[in-house]
Amino acid sequence: MKAVHYSVQQLSELGKEQIPEPLVYGSSFIYSSPATLVYNSPGAQGFGVKRAALSVPESIMLLVAPGCCSRNTSAIAEMPAYQDRYFYLMMNETDLVTSRHLKKISTAIREIVDSLETKPKVVMICITCVDALLATDMEAICKKAEEETGVLVRPVYMYALTREGHIPPMVYVRRSIYSMLQKQTRKADAMNILGFFSPLIESCELYTYLQKAGIRTIREISRCTNFEQYQEMSQANFNLVLDAQARYAAADLEKRCGIPYIECRRLYQVDKIHSQYQALAGVLGIEIDDSEQMEQTIRTILQFRDAHPDLCFAIGEAMNGDPFELAYALLRYGFKVSEIYSAPNKESYIYIDKISKISPHTQVYSNMEPTMLYYASHQSADVAIGQDACYYQQKAKQIPWNEDIQPFGYVGLQKLFAQLKGVCG
Amino acid sequence: MKGLRKYLTPFAPDQSGATSVFYDMGGIIVICDAGGCTGNICGFDEPRWTSQKSAIFSAGLRDMDAIFGQDERLLKKLQYVSEQIKANFIALIGTPVPATIGTDLLGIERLAQKKSSIPVLSVSTTGMKNYDAGIQEAYLALFRKLAGKTANEDRVGVIGCVPLELGHLSWAGFIEKELKKTHKKVSIYGMGASFEEVCTAGNAQKNIVVSPSGIQSAKYLQKTFGTPYEVAFPGAERLVKAGPWQKPLIVHQQVLANSLRERIPTATVGSWFTMDKTYKKPEDVHFKEEDDFEQFVTSHDFDCIIADEAMRKIVRNYKGKWISLPHFAVSGKRDVL
Repeated sequence: MKAVHYSVQQLSELGKEQIPEPLVYGSSFIYSSPATLVYNSPGAQGFGVKRAALSVPESIMLLVAPGCCSRNTSAIAEMPAYQDRYFYLMMNETDLVTSRHLKKISTAIREIVDSLETKPKVVMICITCVDALLATDMEAICKKAEEETGVLVRPVYMYALTREGHIPPMVYVRRSIYSMLQKQTRKADAMNILGFFSPLIESCELYTYLQKAGIRTIREISRCTNFEQYQEMSQANFNLVLDAQARYAAADLEKRCGIPYIECRRLYQVDKIHSQYQALAGVLGIEIDDSEQMEQTIRTILQFRDAHPDLCFAIGEAMNGDPFELAYALLRYGFKVSEIYSAPNKESYIYIDKISKISPHTQVYSNMEPTMLYYASHQSADVAIGQDACYYQQKAKQIPWNEDIQPFGYVGLQKLFAQLKGVCG
Repeated sequence: MKGLRKYLTPFAPDQSGATSVFYDMGGIIVICDAGGCTGNICGFDEPRWTSQKSAIFSAGLRDMDAIFGQDERLLKKLQYVSEQIKANFIALIGTPVPATIGTDLLGIERLAQKKSSIPVLSVSTTGMKNYDAGIQEAYLALFRKLAGKTANEDRVGVIGCVPLELGHLSWAGFIEKELKKTHKKVSIYGMGASFEEVCTAGNAQKNIVVSPSGIQSAKYLQKTFGTPYEVAFPGAERLVKAGPWQKPLIVHQQVLANSLRERIPTATVGSWFTMDKTYKKPEDVHFKEEDDFEQFVTSHDFDCIIADEAMRKIVRNYKGKWISLPHFAVSGKRDVL
């Protein structure tokens, strides 16, 4: 038995309207590969709904759900930043029939708040598939709880059932965390970066470019140390969205607080990073001179390539980036890519079609396809990038590339090559 | 407050318990969920997941499946996987989603069985009960469907031994080592026993039940094949050294705690999980809520508590000795496994 896979050439020939069924999420059972638990286990690693929702400073969470939904939260709850921030109101079968669990929320909030030395400013109520099916109006319940307890109460939805839906949970949670921002006078020299739950690399050139253009205050939710700072985010003149999953939140802020937004994305192709900065400069009416950073980045890449001209990569999806874009970038830099572990979607075809022209035999696997059970760990690549690729290519040099601190722009790309140099010499 | 947890994360649920029984028997295990429950089982409740492969899949239910009850879609996916994966049996495991929409898992089991050449089982877990309820149902489903008798063997069966009932995977080894002193073969159902050993469970000379979750199936095997059973945790003495305590409290699953008490007769046994009244002393206590545990500890003068460290947070002011006795279903601590 072998794990089902397709070459990039096969995928390109079939086209984006005929993605093979084994690579389409939802077409078969989901294999919860040890390589990608981040997908199926929101509490286990990375930022799932539970951890993401507590990006709001001075917030706590009350999970109102069957015990099974909250069980793995201890994996997060033991991290220093999350201690004493998760609480659980467990549903039983009677609650399922009578919905009496919803009537207990205010009492539970009061008991929790009373037990805490430091009183929270916000209580996020996390509900799961059961309440999705019961069509619980959590907005109304939170509003009532807010009136009864005097604490801000907001819902977050961990609805795995809607994962491929119009508003998936990780899109909704981004809206939820900004939902407490109230309209106030905007300041021309203030802006927000939306998209991530942790900050960009401190030395990211984006900060410098924006500051040079006269922006004095750049806010990210993860850098807000208290609730007051968080509330100041609605003073922003504009929002810069760096992850498409934050588009819905940005649109909501535009509607409610009158803050327009611009969208950029994380890229690993140096020329595209440059083009994106120039486009951003055009939209903002500023100048961005990125020549020095661009040249420095190109030098870093070329030096590494000259030292390791035949390097072959395996790239996974459990990392900070789009695996198809990163694969294409590395191929353009002159390296080889043997495997990509990620089910493609229609947007991936921007890169699949291009990759098929320069590396048609690159193989594409879906982490969640049942036959991945048979994927035999082997070394086809010299370097694995991504936590999942590291799992599959255990003898390759490993770069998980999934740190909380977010790589972006030239500095992100330079950091990747610094790590490559670190493992390859 | 009833149902509120301020210190302990919820315990391992029934669906995790059921899965742990089937884990290493070479079956296809389908968790009928949207993905999150499977993630919890594989990523948290099943410590063998990263070291020992098992064909566990999420049914990947979506809102439309739930609304329209598209059982045919589930069966189609099952057929695809059955063609791709060679397996001894198929087990369907319930979660809150089928429980909420009233899915007839037994009905799906029957439909799937008509299309399958290998046995199909189902366990109607709901995700709202503790792990031990799931273990009990899974053992019953397994033995009712598969167990037979072909010969008499010098063999002892062990029921109720899965990682969730223990504090460390090595504890299963202690059980095996003890039983091998008196029997040629030891079949630990759920941790090492093969599918064939399950199918010939009636061959065993006797069964040892190491947790309350195994009692019902031991009774079934006794009734069906005449196999006698004992309730004990062999090798328990290796887990905790005896001390000078006058009044200790032992908190774990009932059978393990009782076996420890044999060496510390003054101990009181407590458990968050099923306590069989046959093996329960009048002073023993069952905890439902955090408040129960706190009040019990503060109202008794225990000089020592032998329990999972996770519970310590509930009684922060307790001044006596605390001896760590990990329970994976409570703390889920992988570093102790």
